[in-house]
Amino acid sequence: MRSLFEWVDALPSSIALRESLNAYPTMLTIHVVSMCLFAGLIAYWDMRLIGFTLRKVPVSNIPTRLFPWALTGYGINLITGALLLYSQPMRYYGNFYFWAKMALMLVAGINMFWFHYATYKSVQAWDQGREIPLNARLAGVVSLVLWAAVVVTGRMMAYSGLMPGWWNNLNIGA
Amino acid sequence: MLQSFFEWMQGLPFSAWMLEETWASPIIQCAHLVALVGFAGAVLVVDMRLLGRGLIKTPLNQLARELDRWMIWSFVALFVTGAPQVLSTALKQYYSPFFWWKMQIIVIGLLFNFTIRRRVALAEEGTLGHWPKVVGFLSIGIWTSVSVYARLIGLLS
Repeated sequence: MRSLFEWVDALPSSIALRESLNAYPTMLTIHVVSMCLFAGLIAYWDMRLIGFTLRKVPVSNIPTRLFPWALTGYGINLITGALLLYSQPMRYYGNFYFWAKMALMLVAGINMFWFHYATYKSVQAWDQGREIPLNARLAGVVSLVLWAAVVVTGRMMAYSGLMPGWWNNLNIGA
Repeated sequence: MLQSFFEWMQGLPFSAWMLEETWASPIIQCAHLVALVGFAGAVLVVDMRLLGRGLIKTPLNQLARELDRWMIWSFVALFVTGAPQVLSTALKQYYSPFFWWKMQIIVIGLLFNFTIRRRVALAEEGTLGHWPKVVGFLSIGIWTSVSVYARLIGLLS
């Protein structure tokens, strides 16, 4: 894995992105704005499942009407995130919060697929005005917590001096 | 006068504590970002509806009423987590053009929201022609600019 990161780090296009004055601020700014689009809409979907808000909106309306927008935000977020990683792979390789963010995104993705292919199939039975099953509410809580943790670990990536001691002892970035 | 006010803020014991305490700034910045997500979602669901997208089967005034409190409380959280960051880096903010642009657009955004946007969102649907679309577009533009300038304070100041 390390050699892959080092190989990318030495690519001329990676160096060019890294040395560009405008690339990093531009990519990071688009990354944050697209995060607002994706995470903002997903947060209200999760809170609808939990029963915190939008209780009069049929549950099935949200995936059909809001997910295309949320996925657009996610796509832009993925592209800018990949470019940020591509431009400074060795900065992120030894960063605990980077790997924590990747792991959290993976778990959030699994939760999303599990919910979609298992719990959501019975949505017609609890679409509106009925109590949302515990599985669905639980999926909402898990998703809300996981995506909040993704946002937090993403922000913490800037604090390379605040990584856990046990992680530093692994000397991954050395 | 404004500069001395910012110098005073920078000199507060709380500002010094924020800078000295290792975890204070990261925790507050993370909370600020989570509050931003809450705010953005509440604004976007209504703005998209104003644009004729998103949850079109739900009456606009119903959505606006329900998400208004989420928007207000998220904004309160943004303010509560944003103020300590301004206090602890007051002079950096003072000399950053992005900070001032951000503040000006926030004021415009709040005035716009509590006057025009709210009125349009709560009005009887179909009575205002193209105005809901214009308002939704402007609202998205205003709050996107705020988050862009906020990000640029940290990156380019």
